[in-house]
Amino acid sequence: MALYIVEADCISCGDCEPVCPTNSITEGKIVFKIDAKTCTECEGDFDVPQCVKVCPVDNCILPLEA
Amino acid sequence: MNSQAISRELALRIGLAARALPDTDAKRLLSVLTDCIGLPLTEQKIAGIDLNALKSAKAGEFADVDEPLLTHALSILKSGLNAPERQAYTDGDMPGSVRIACASNDGINVDGHFGSCSQFLIYQVSADEARLIDIRNPDIPDGLEVDDKNAFRAELIQDCQVLYIASVGGPAAAKIVKLGIHPMKLPGIETIADIIKQLQTVIAGTPPPWLAKVMGVEASDRFHFEREATG
Repeated sequence: MALYIVEADCISCGDCEPVCPTNSITEGKIVFKIDAKTCTECEGDFDVPQCVKVCPVDNCILPLEA
Repeated sequence: MNSQAISRELALRIGLAARALPDTDAKRLLSVLTDCIGLPLTEQKIAGIDLNALKSAKAGEFADVDEPLLTHALSILKSGLNAPERQAYTDGDMPGSVRIACASNDGINVDGHFGSCSQFLIYQVSADEARLIDIRNPDIPDGLEVDDKNAFRAELIQDCQVLYIASVGGPAAAKIVKLGIHPMKLPGIETIADIIKQLQTVIAGTPPPWLAKVMGVEASDRFHFEREATG
């Protein structure tokens, strides 16, 4: 029950970081990353994951378990 | 009369510079330049004009024009706008390179809006080389019915991985991204030469993963980068 950022597609725009209700997104050494331990996929806070909603790149943020 | 003739190239530059100024045609700019440096207009004399001289010429004809616009027009006038030569390129010539499109009106700066610029300059850029491989005219050919001008423009540069523009609208940006082109809107007007230099620094260093991907660097090599970067 968590999302992850596809490293090869992330453009490091940073749009996802402030919209995460659980503050699970941080800027890593290469690109942004999601802490799988705290990511809730926004369940309880929003209907859809906010990072996916704001991300400008298609299929860049995906569920960890398909 | 012959002694007053100006070179074709200088005439072109004056025309382009006039376009860069509000409510100015070549004739108006020509009259100001003539007042400023006298006939005949030569490259040497134009090279000596500074901003203040241009502003005060012909009783301050251009005194009310914004300074950045005047500076820009001056840079066009002075630039050795030797209509840049296209260079030959065949796929595979430059390994580890990326193809970029620059939206431009003057052919020198990235000063174009995606939907209205007069040309796209296409460069193939690697860490140590840059070739102007094409200049594309985005005007819709006569007789061709096009529903969506922006989609037409995006398709024109479909072979490029990165697009530099001075500005772009949201829906147009979405169409660009959809074709796999990465749009880069610049915070201010920059010369194409500067943009290429910056890009080359990035390519020579550790390119971000998305760029490495569009450059065709194998994922395994990218992983190698990362391990070094993460140390």
